[in-house]
Amino acid sequence: MSIARNCLMGLVLAAAGLFGGLDRAKASDPALIEAAKKEGQVIWYTSFVENQLARPLAAAFEKKYPGIKVQIVPGTATDLLLKLLGEARAGGVRGDVHHGGSSLWPLLKADAIEKYIPDAAKDYPDNLKDKDGLWTADALYFLVAAVNTDMVSPGDEPKTYDDLLDPKWKGRIAWTNQMTQGGAAGFIGTILTAMGEEKGMAYLRKLADQKLINVPSNQRVVLDQVIAGEYPIAIATFNNHSVLSAAKGAPVKWLKLEPVTNTLDTVMLLKGPHRNAGKLFIDYSLSEEGQKVVREAGYIPANPKVAAKVPELKPQEGKFKVQVLTPNMVEEGLPKWVAVYNELFK
Amino acid sequence: MTVLDATRSLPVYRKSARERLAEYAPAIIVTIILAVIVIPPVIVLLRTSLRGNDDGVFTLSHYASLFSDPRLYVSAWNSVSFSVLAMLLSLVNGGLVAWLVERTNVRFKSLAYISAIISLGTPYIIYVSAWLYILGRAGPVNGLYRALVDPTGTLFNVYSITGMVLIEGFLWSPLVFLLLSATFRRSNADMEEAARIAGASVFATVTRISLRLAMPAVLGLGLFVFIRNLEAFDVPVLIGTPSKISLLTTDIYLSMTQVPPQLGHASAFSIVLMFVVAVLLYYYGKISKHAERFASITGKGYRPRPFDLGRSKWLGSALILFNAMLVLVLPLAAILYNSLTPFARPVNWTGLTNLTFDHYRAVFAQSYYLELALNTVIVAAASATAAILITSIAAWMNVRRWPGSALLDQLTSVPLVFPGIVLGVAMIEMALNFPLPVYGTLWVIGFAFVIRYLPYGMRYSHAGIIQIHRELEDAAGISGASRPTILRRILVPLISPSLIAGWLFIFLIAAKELSIAVLLAGYNAKTISVAMFDQWVNGAGGEVAAMGVIWTSVMTIFTATLYMITRRRTDLISGK
Repeated sequence: MSIARNCLMGLVLAAAGLFGGLDRAKASDPALIEAAKKEGQVIWYTSFVENQLARPLAAAFEKKYPGIKVQIVPGTATDLLLKLLGEARAGGVRGDVHHGGSSLWPLLKADAIEKYIPDAAKDYPDNLKDKDGLWTADALYFLVAAVNTDMVSPGDEPKTYDDLLDPKWKGRIAWTNQMTQGGAAGFIGTILTAMGEEKGMAYLRKLADQKLINVPSNQRVVLDQVIAGEYPIAIATFNNHSVLSAAKGAPVKWLKLEPVTNTLDTVMLLKGPHRNAGKLFIDYSLSEEGQKVVREAGYIPANPKVAAKVPELKPQEGKFKVQVLTPNMVEEGLPKWVAVYNELFK
Repeated sequence: MTVLDATRSLPVYRKSARERLAEYAPAIIVTIILAVIVIPPVIVLLRTSLRGNDDGVFTLSHYASLFSDPRLYVSAWNSVSFSVLAMLLSLVNGGLVAWLVERTNVRFKSLAYISAIISLGTPYIIYVSAWLYILGRAGPVNGLYRALVDPTGTLFNVYSITGMVLIEGFLWSPLVFLLLSATFRRSNADMEEAARIAGASVFATVTRISLRLAMPAVLGLGLFVFIRNLEAFDVPVLIGTPSKISLLTTDIYLSMTQVPPQLGHASAFSIVLMFVVAVLLYYYGKISKHAERFASITGKGYRPRPFDLGRSKWLGSALILFNAMLVLVLPLAAILYNSLTPFARPVNWTGLTNLTFDHYRAVFAQSYYLELALNTVIVAAASATAAILITSIAAWMNVRRWPGSALLDQLTSVPLVFPGIVLGVAMIEMALNFPLPVYGTLWVIGFAFVIRYLPYGMRYSHAGIIQIHRELEDAAGISGASRPTILRRILVPLISPSLIAGWLFIFLIAAKELSIAVLLAGYNAKTISVAMFDQWVNGAGGEVAAMGVIWTSVMTIFTATLYMITRRRTDLISGK
């Protein structure tokens, strides 16, 4: 019985090794795999939607590395951060890998992050990874304007940020009031970084005169309200959401007002109980194989070798300029961006 | 011979220390149990309110910023008027329906119960967004107005204080209905009948007899709903923010949704609110001191007989239908519609001809939802049972003013002012410091639910017991029954409608609770609302609506069965 099981295990291992070898990405170090197997599981705190991406990614990993179970702890970035900070205060984090946005600095302060430079990260451009191995981007988001095509004819669509200042949009532009890099604060940050402090502020003042509608919910809900016809136009929505809904026939279209805000979801290794399994899981999730799972779930993969499901969603294929907001820029700029929001838009 | 010393006081019989201890012991034990449950989160709350968000250094800045808000007076005024109006709406709406159903010969009685139960079983986020959809600019109400009257106009702006009051009022009507229907069912018909015989009209009987009898229960409930509205975050923020209407809780909500959340501000607000609540409860205590005057279930036989409304019967029936329309049919139809359209869209011909079951297929394809649903039912049922058990004993002692029971009502009301997210964070730390490995298990979630819903249990138990004259218990006591026997044989059967209503209420709202369940979820301890929220944030609104429809149906079948069984049983007991 146990011999049979060992043989089977060996076969599976060999097969995994074979496929791993076929894959262009370098297979992980056997010693790491061995150590990870001893640990038996990896606890993954993730803000990916559980049934859409977290489960498929976990299943793909478990198939490749039998014997290592991925335990998913879902939640929004905020919830997970609160959890991890609470755990850190009470003697140490319980998770091994964390995926989310905006949470790097508080976690760093709480001494919860273990530096790790994953193999797969060598393919990634410098602004999608930390040189010291604190984080690597595993999914990209592009914050764009979107219009309801039943309410806005192609000729009326704004083409530039300045077009948003047209009096016809007064009181009709909606945006989320989320104070994150993926919300109103990220939009303000993009304007200030791209236009420069002085011109940016002048622009934002004029934009504030347009009486933007602050929707107290996430970007998706704002977009849904545009689709439903509550508002004709929204800014700071995710471009992949527009594409998903348009494919189902929704009257919605995203606009390339340049530069488009590019924010990152990041993956990081925590000082948790299963660090080898954690490393192995991070390697996998950033590899071409893992990133293809990310793509299939409708997210935009960060790995430059993996195209988006709708290739035009990524800047190179879609031919649009972006302003990347890295975690470092967010840490430095966020308080100011929030202050600008409070002063002009609240 | 001894000379009597006139100055010496006469010997008085004094109870021995042991006797007094025995008298005080039960209430003190219950007080201690409640304190152990309620006080630790208060300490965490207090500590959070006094520490800087980043550095953890002692500071009063959270309190300072609370009181230095230049719009404080405007926000406070908005908050109070919102809370009062929404409370009145729920009291009038829920109370009226409860009275009609329990005390008159009106039709469609079961519809009122079904409406209350279903709307309680519907997850909060989709219930509120259903209303926002109905009353919103693109919704059917304004759509109809545009089609018939003014093609560019808007009849009703939901993003206003009125919109807020309407939605919050509808949200809490079922609570009022369930509580007051238990009260009315148990109220004494003798006095009402005497009034009718003496020639009083139905209206006079109701206002001068029925309403006065129910007054302590109504007042307690009103206060409770008022406090609940005052600390409500979601509706004021969801509806007020787009039109920049600010309430006391608006800023606090925003500080909690920042990354990382600024919990100090919210905690300071809760502490201040706790004092306000304590003062309100003090006055409530004074009112209910004379409660025995109102006790309507006495040793004499009571059989409430329904009023004959005569010709106004149709009016009453219409009111029940209207209420069912508001709290049940409209929002549910909106949810159903959203679960069947591939994406959010206005109600029109194209929308109605393009319905699909895709969202339902997506939900049923996920077998692990079943596991989550099971977790949810277990944890909600267990915490409802625990909360009702504790509060019914506490309420009994409190109403009968057992020695040492003074603090019970105050203690059980404390969790009312905890914002869910703050309680969640407090529970994380408490669970991690607990000697047993409970962190990340359903136990912690259940315990947090018990804390959170103690006030609701207390309201239901309190309202039930306050109506029962102590002569029944005294009679049992004189006949030799011990106190546990009195509780079991006299009290519990008499107040069981209230207790069942309370259990059901806690069960239903615990099952859909969000902020705590999300924060405390572990990989083996997730509830269905966590999955719903997950999908919601991702914008799978249609799938969430589909899950909501399924969940609501399951909850409805479950509770309707329970209600029918227990109702039959309690009716047997009360000899109806």
